Amino acid sequence: MVSPAMSAAWILVGVAFCALGILLYVAIRSRTRRVDLEKAVQTFRSLDIEAFRNLVDAAEEAFLRNNLPPRKFREIKRQRAWAALMYAWEAGRAATALAKIGQAAQRNSDPKIAASGVQVAESAFRLRLQTIAACLRLLTEVLLPDLESRPVPPLVDQYERAAETLFRLSRFSSGLPGFVRSKSA
Amino acid sequence: MLFIDWHRLLFFFLWITPHVLLGVLAVVLCKRRLYRELPCFFAYVLYEIAEFILLFTLYVVPNVAGEHYKYAYGATLLLSIVLRFGVIDEVSKNLFRESPFLKVSARRSLQCVTGLLIAIGVLLAAYAPGDSSAKWYAGVFVVNRGAAMVQCGLLLALLLFSSFLGLSWRRPAFGIALGLGVLTSADLAMFALRGAFTSEAALRFLDLLMTGTYLVCISIWIGYLLTPELEPASVTVVPRDEVETWNREFQQFLKQ
Repeated sequence: MVSPAMSAAWILVGVAFCALGILLYVAIRSRTRRVDLEKAVQTFRSLDIEAFRNLVDAAEEAFLRNNLPPRKFREIKRQRAWAALMYAWEAGRAATALAKIGQAAQRNSDPKIAASGVQVAESAFRLRLQTIAACLRLLTEVLLPDLESRPVPPLVDQYERAAETLFRLSRFSSGLPGFVRSKSA
Repeated sequence: MLFIDWHRLLFFFLWITPHVLLGVLAVVLCKRRLYRELPCFFAYVLYEIAEFILLFTLYVVPNVAGEHYKYAYGATLLLSIVLRFGVIDEVSKNLFRESPFLKVSARRSLQCVTGLLIAIGVLLAAYAPGDSSAKWYAGVFVVNRGAAMVQCGLLLALLLFSSFLGLSWRRPAFGIALGLGVLTSADLAMFALRGAFTSEAALRFLDLLMTGTYLVCISIWIGYLLTPELEPASVTVVPRDEVETWNREFQQFLKQ
C-alpha cells in the first residue's frame, strides 16, 4: 500500500511537471506565435457595441420578464446572456492584441504615436480585465437566469474608450487607412 | 587498470560547470550593464558563486565534519530562497514598468496569488512533512519545497498573466523568469521525492538531477541575456490632418 507521504510526493511531482510543461509551452509560443495585429483590429472594430448594449440592457430584460412566461423568459435570457458573453470574450481577445499594438506604438520615436500608444495599452489592459469580470457575470446569468442582472456600463465605457483611442492612433498612421502598420509583430 | 568513478566524475562536473557559467553570466551582466536594471538578480548570481566556493571548500577539505557542511548548506539554501523571492519581485516590476495601471492592479493581484500560495505551502508543510528522521536538515528541505512551490506558482502566474493581458516582456527578464521557473519546478519535484525516497542511491541520483537542472537553468539565462532584444513592431507614421481627426472625434462624441 502507498503511504500518504509517498502519495503527497508523487502529487507534487505531478504538479511540478505540469508547471514545467506550461513554462515550456509559454516559452515556445512566445517564440513562434505572432499576432496578426491588423486582423485583431478588424475583429475589434467589427464588434457591434449597440448590439452588446441591447443584450445587457436592464430595461429590455425587465420588459421580457414582465411579458413572457417564466420558462420562455429563462430560455431567452440564457440565449441573450450567452450572446453577450461571446461579445465580451471577443472584445477581451481583441484587447490583448490591442495591448500589443499600444506597447509597440509606445516605443515609436514619434512622441504623438508614443503617447497614443500609452493610452491604447492602458485602455486595453483595463478592457481585458473588465471583460473577464463581465464574462464571469454573464456566465452566472447563463447558469442562473432567474437572477436579476444589473447594467454593465464600465465594460461598455472601456470598450468605447479603447475604440476611440485606437481610432485616434490610427488617424496618425500611414498606409492602410485606419490601421497602425506593423512591420513585425 | 585505472578505475574511474563515473558517478563522482559526473557529480563534480555538474556541480562545478554551472558555477563557472554563473561567472560568465556575471560578466555578461556587467558588460551589458544589466546589473543596473536587475540588481537583485546580479546579487543572486554573485551570491550563488560565493556559496559554491564556500560549500566546495568545505566538501574537499578533509578536516571538516559532514555535520558542519550540512549546517552551511542549510543556511546558504535559506538565504538563496530569500534572494529568489527578490529576483521574482524584480522581474514583476520590470514587466509592469510601463503601465501605471498595471503597477497597481496587477501587483495587487500578484499579492493575492502569493498569499494563496503561501497558505498552500504552509498546509503542505503541516500535512506532508516528508522525511522526519533527520530533524532540522529535513526541516530545511520542507521549507525549500514549500518555497519552491510558492516561487514556481508566482512565476507561472506572471507568465500566464502577461500572456493573458498581451504584455511584452523584455528578453532578459523573460529569460530570468523562464530559467527560474524551470529551476523551482524541478526543485519542487526533487525535494518532494527526497522526502519519500531516502536510500543512498536514490539521493545520489536526485543530486545529479538537481545539479543537471541547475545547469539547464543557467544555460537558459545566458542564452536569453546574450540574444539581442527582438525588434518591436515598428509603427510607421506620417501624421495627417490632426484638426480633421479631432473634428471626427467630436462628431462621434456628439452622436453618442
